[in-house]
Amino acid sequence: MKFTITREKLHEGLGAVAASVPTKTTLPVLANILVEASKDGLRLSGTDLDISVSTTIPASVDQEGATTLPARKLVEIVKELPNAAIRMTSSGEQRATIECGKSKFKLLGLSRDDFPAFPSVKFEGGWKVAAKDLQKLIQHVAFAASTEESRPILNGVLWELRADRMRMVATNGHRLARMDVPTSGHGGGQADLIIPPKALEQIRRLFGGDEEIEIGKSDNHLGFRSTTTQIYTRLIEGPYPNYEQVIPRENDKSLTADKAALAAALRRMSIVASDQTHRIRMAFTNGACKLSVQTPDLGEAQEELAVAYEGDSLEIGFNAAYMLEILKYMPTDEVRMTFKAPERAATCEPVGWDDPASYMTLVMPLRLVD
Amino acid sequence: MTSPALRRVAILPDAVANQIAAGEVVERPASAVKELVENAIDAGARHVRVELEQGGKTLIVVSDDGSGMNRDDAVLALDRHATSKITSAAELVGVRSFGFRGEALPAIASVSRFTMVTAEEAEGTEVVVTGGRLDSVKPAVRQRGTTVTIRGLFFNTPARRKFLRSVPSESRASVEVVSTLALSHPSVGFELQVDGETRLQVPPGQDDPGRLAGVWGPDLAGTLVPVNYASGSVRVTGYAQRPGDAAPTGRRTQLFVNGRPFRDNFLVRAAEAGYRSAIHPGDRPSLLLRFDVDPADVDVNVHPAKLEVRFRDRFTVERVAEEAIREALGVLEAAAPVGDWRPMPSAGGAGHSVPASLFAPLDGSDERPEEERGVAAPGTFTAPVTQLFSSYLAFEGPEGLVIVDQHSAHERVLFEEVMAQLAVGGAASQRLLLPETLELTDEELDALERHREAIEAVGFQAEPFGGRSVVLHSVPAPHLRFDAVACFREMVADLARGRFGGWANRLERFAATYACRAAVKAGMPLGEAESRALLFRLFQTKLPPHDVHGRSTIVQLPRDELERRFGRR
Repeated sequence: MKFTITREKLHEGLGAVAASVPTKTTLPVLANILVEASKDGLRLSGTDLDISVSTTIPASVDQEGATTLPARKLVEIVKELPNAAIRMTSSGEQRATIECGKSKFKLLGLSRDDFPAFPSVKFEGGWKVAAKDLQKLIQHVAFAASTEESRPILNGVLWELRADRMRMVATNGHRLARMDVPTSGHGGGQADLIIPPKALEQIRRLFGGDEEIEIGKSDNHLGFRSTTTQIYTRLIEGPYPNYEQVIPRENDKSLTADKAALAAALRRMSIVASDQTHRIRMAFTNGACKLSVQTPDLGEAQEELAVAYEGDSLEIGFNAAYMLEILKYMPTDEVRMTFKAPERAATCEPVGWDDPASYMTLVMPLRLVD
Repeated sequence: MTSPALRRVAILPDAVANQIAAGEVVERPASAVKELVENAIDAGARHVRVELEQGGKTLIVVSDDGSGMNRDDAVLALDRHATSKITSAAELVGVRSFGFRGEALPAIASVSRFTMVTAEEAEGTEVVVTGGRLDSVKPAVRQRGTTVTIRGLFFNTPARRKFLRSVPSESRASVEVVSTLALSHPSVGFELQVDGETRLQVPPGQDDPGRLAGVWGPDLAGTLVPVNYASGSVRVTGYAQRPGDAAPTGRRTQLFVNGRPFRDNFLVRAAEAGYRSAIHPGDRPSLLLRFDVDPADVDVNVHPAKLEVRFRDRFTVERVAEEAIREALGVLEAAAPVGDWRPMPSAGGAGHSVPASLFAPLDGSDERPEEERGVAAPGTFTAPVTQLFSSYLAFEGPEGLVIVDQHSAHERVLFEEVMAQLAVGGAASQRLLLPETLELTDEELDALERHREAIEAVGFQAEPFGGRSVVLHSVPAPHLRFDAVACFREMVADLARGRFGGWANRLERFAATYACRAAVKAGMPLGEAESRALLFRLFQTKLPPHDVHGRSTIVQLPRDELERRFGRR
């Protein structure tokens, strides 16, 4: 293997792949990046066996070949090299020489045969979606997935592909986020896929702009690819809980508020809220929202916020951390919340969003004990 | 029949009466040692020396530098009921000296070859008595004080001599007696020689800890924490063993009431109850407890050897003993080798922390609370914390490496929180978007019904769902990785099986069950912020060093030990 590449390109390519290299592994080769030189350029790949990422960058290849090199060291070396052409050669399979200006490194690697093969995913007959749509969905929904491991299904994000729309849903059982994006046909058929958020984060990071992404599926893997980059992920086995039936339709009280003002008030209240439950209390009457918090052994706080409120007065408790999180992902300056009763789900939606997508989040209350 | 009627009833001669009294007061060499040493202490001795041969069977010598006696008193002291300690029956209540009946010396003298050399001023007296018969009284030379020499104890009562135990056993009893007296009088020096070997040597004028180390040995003394507690008219001081050092064997206990040693297994058990959740059921902690009560509230004369006492209000004394121990163990020192290294975080405010998210906020700004960005907020634990084996939290304390068991720590935190919630309410309960349905057994349903109120107080809302099913609508949220369904299931199963059945208090039993099941488990990776928050909360609890099973929560590897292992010391 023999090729020359600009430092900038190599740095960029390694940056894309390195995030998928596990920091701790029992399989030594997983700490390495697979480096393959071919007439198409240089292909770099990393995997932790759940998620695999590979990207192709332009390089002038003199002699084809492949090896694997320790990811951290390779990244560090390239980071410290001057901005000049880098020449990499491998003598034998497990040793590579990196030369740049007057610097010269020899790195020991492992045989490419040890590197796990990527899942075989059929892209033919799959889907085609716009990267920006996918990014939007991931950005607004994936945060709501559970990090607690008792129900693995909730650790994933549900992605529904339908004829004329895509939808993502995530929940940890306490709060939920859902977004719909209309599409003008994406090939493939209708599908419900449950994807680990870590994979979605890579997708959000590595695909962008006006790229069109091809998606293919095997029994338990999903592949995403653009012209330069491929991401493969394990799928979480379904079925996803029936979220539709828990989304409230009878909420008859509504509040419209300035997002920043509401978030600031919540942050102030949560200073005095319990560290574990972040419990705050909200009381709504016509035209006003009163926030308060009382924590034994700590203290209490109150605040009034001018809001537009319609409906009977209501007192309800929430985990302030959940509320703040939801507000953080709201795309507009104004938000609308709806309520029914102190033990029923509340919803939160953007107001006046000039986007074809529709977005809704939901949060379950905390019981108030007097 | 002309013979005169024999008189059947007669007053016993003094010698026989003394021998009978000897049976009560002097049953073995150790009791003679006790009587004589007590006399020496009552005489204001600063130093008492005891010498034994053959476990005291052949020779007992007790000498002191106390007040001594003049010739007349010395002779009179050997008469029955001769005493300098009380003069009227009214003084019996509230007696503060050891002896007062005036039985000991004549009793001992009646069953041995007895020699007493005593001097009040410059002039001394030697009194020799053999088997209760006064042989001689003559002047002698001695410094102020008294020396009593007893040879051939029980030489004239073969029946009693036959019942003496082996030499080692009798020696042990005497060592025990002198140790107890040494503990009760730190100001008096003691020396005990058994068959030419020094078994105990403590200088006069010691403080309590010094005396304890001298008598119980520095190793055992090093595992003790001080007790100092008062409630009502009862005050308890002394030392209790750290729960982590308590073992099923090798315990030593010593009780005093108003300075007088006594035995009382029930009181020891009451004190052990103060350990309650902090030791294994089989472990027996060493204890030295001094009770100070109004002398009118205790009768010390119910036992001839004064080994037992009777309290007027026994229940209160037991309660105070238990409270005293609990209070003593609440100090973190009880956890690990000495030193006050409780990290004192700055008081007050607790910041909110949004669970760290993989996803950056839309506007790209970092709105995370400060502690997640690595800036310490006030009111949190600030030392760098490392998690080991996903199970322990380690940090640098002032005197060594401190290692905390995360599960035990959280258990302790939750236990105290739940106890507070059961008392005043106030648990937050998260409504579930997707209610969980569980199938329970009949026993579990029964347990659920019995504990419904407590279960709801900690934040679970479970409703019957037909048959043996219940549906969970709300759950507590004690930590980020809390598995509410598993916790509920295990907790109900535990309650049904009567786990923690040893706990007397029903609410505590429930709280322990819940705390055990809800706490973070060993093997759960914790974030830095989470670890700090847990430690902060742990050190705010009443009993940080121990979890509800009595296991240690905190272990310390002292810097000394570390340096020794690296050969720096």
